[in-house]
Amino acid sequence: MPTRTTSPRFLALTVLTAALFVIACNAIADAPREITMGLVQKIFYFHVPCAWLLMLSTLVCAGGSVAYLFGGSERGDRVAVSASELGVVFGLCVLVSGPLWAKAAWGVYWQWEARLTSSLLLWLMLVAYVLARRYGGASARRLAAALALFAAIDIPLVYFSVRFFRSIHPSNTVVSTLGPGMRGAFWLSLLAFTALWWVLFSARLATENTYARLVDLEILLDQAEEKKS
Amino acid sequence: MKMVALAYGFIWLAVFGYVFIVSRRLGRLNGEMDELRRRIDRLKT
Amino acid sequence: MLIALKDLRIEGRSREVLYTMGFSAALVVLVFSFALASATDPAQGPITAAGVLWAATLFTGTVALARVLDRERENESIRSLLLSPAPRAAIYAGKLIATSALMLSVEVLLTVLVGVLFSAGVFSHLGWLALVLVLGTLGFASTGVVFSAALLRSRSREALLGALLFPIVIPVLLAASRATACLFDPLSPDLEPVAFWVRFLLATDVIYIALGLWVFEPVVSGE
Repeated sequence: MPTRTTSPRFLALTVLTAALFVIACNAIADAPREITMGLVQKIFYFHVPCAWLLMLSTLVCAGGSVAYLFGGSERGDRVAVSASELGVVFGLCVLVSGPLWAKAAWGVYWQWEARLTSSLLLWLMLVAYVLARRYGGASARRLAAALALFAAIDIPLVYFSVRFFRSIHPSNTVVSTLGPGMRGAFWLSLLAFTALWWVLFSARLATENTYARLVDLEILLDQAEEKKS
Repeated sequence: MKMVALAYGFIWLAVFGYVFIVSRRLGRLNGEMDELRRRIDRLKT
Repeated sequence: MLIALKDLRIEGRSREVLYTMGFSAALVVLVFSFALASATDPAQGPITAAGVLWAATLFTGTVALARVLDRERENESIRSLLLSPAPRAAIYAGKLIATSALMLSVEVLLTVLVGVLFSAGVFSHLGWLALVLVLGTLGFASTGVVFSAALLRSRSREALLGALLFPIVIPVLLAASRATACLFDPLSPDLEPVAFWVRFLLATDVIYIALGLWVFEPVVSGE
């Protein structure tokens, strides 16, 4: 299992991500200004990818949780915990960038409507996951895994909420209707962010793997020391 | 505009903050690694 | 099934739990009505009433969960229950029914109380109201049983249960609250949103109970 964060593959990935971000930021800066909202609309290029990453993180976390809960896979558990933390980080980005845009575009920071509420709940569930793992006692990991599955149910609610409930939040079809200059910037930004997610995820997973190896080694050492004395 | 700068700035802060937290944990793990290596050496002698 | 009956019989024999739960839930409703007294204007009546009802129900539910699963903790009997050949699904269903029954008994009292204090049209659509109460309660209990059982051996059980349960349960609370608010409204007997929220609750309950059944065994079996 990969444990080194200084392996050539990882370094290459990091460099690639950095390059992607440079290209994406250039594209964002060059993208035409939106007519009604002006400069503020450019938050969109970061806000939407972060939302996508929140959902991706939750999915990965749920997948790992299923593997752990029903297959006893320790690796699944390590994947789940890494993904959950990333979900918290990028979820926080969504929940901060969104209201900042909202204040400029709609005049209010927040509104209790379907998409905002369900996104907030999803993020809260991931935070609860992290807390449960730390303070949940003996069965913390299984408890958190169950929580991850319930969180995964929220994902379709978040995504489709704009379609089913009348909402102030822009619909899912916005992306396909973007103009040419904006479209390129958006997809580049999405790619750059996904690469970033992958880098962070790999690094976090590597630390989990290292920790697991450490624990194994420590057990072996304890046994060896006992035999010696 | 101020909002854009705030939004972008926060995201960078959050991401680098997380990187910082993870690297700190990695540092602690490496410390434990060294400790284990020392114990192995002691066993060999 | 037998497990549910056993739990219910124990509760039935000691009315203590029902009385104390009912009383504290009623107090919660009273606290809300004091707190919101100045803010109530006639138009807001049904919405406030529905909100208070379901907030008090949430509180009741947390207490009910603690009761239904705490006895297991004290006697370590959940271990013996798990060692028995009873299918886990039956244990889960038993706890679910017991918790829901406890909650619903208190909710009847709460509904009457809320009707009186907030002048809400409680009796106008009794059938729909009963349905909403049952569906909402099931939604809460289905997830509550799983996490409450999982936290049995944890030190920060009470604090964590809320943190884990509430984000999951809030959609149920929301749907039930909206439906109830429509039902309480004496002026507009608009039942269409009620039908929508009931469908939402039904779908959510089915998903939550299915997931709860699926997840209960691995989560609760000792590590």
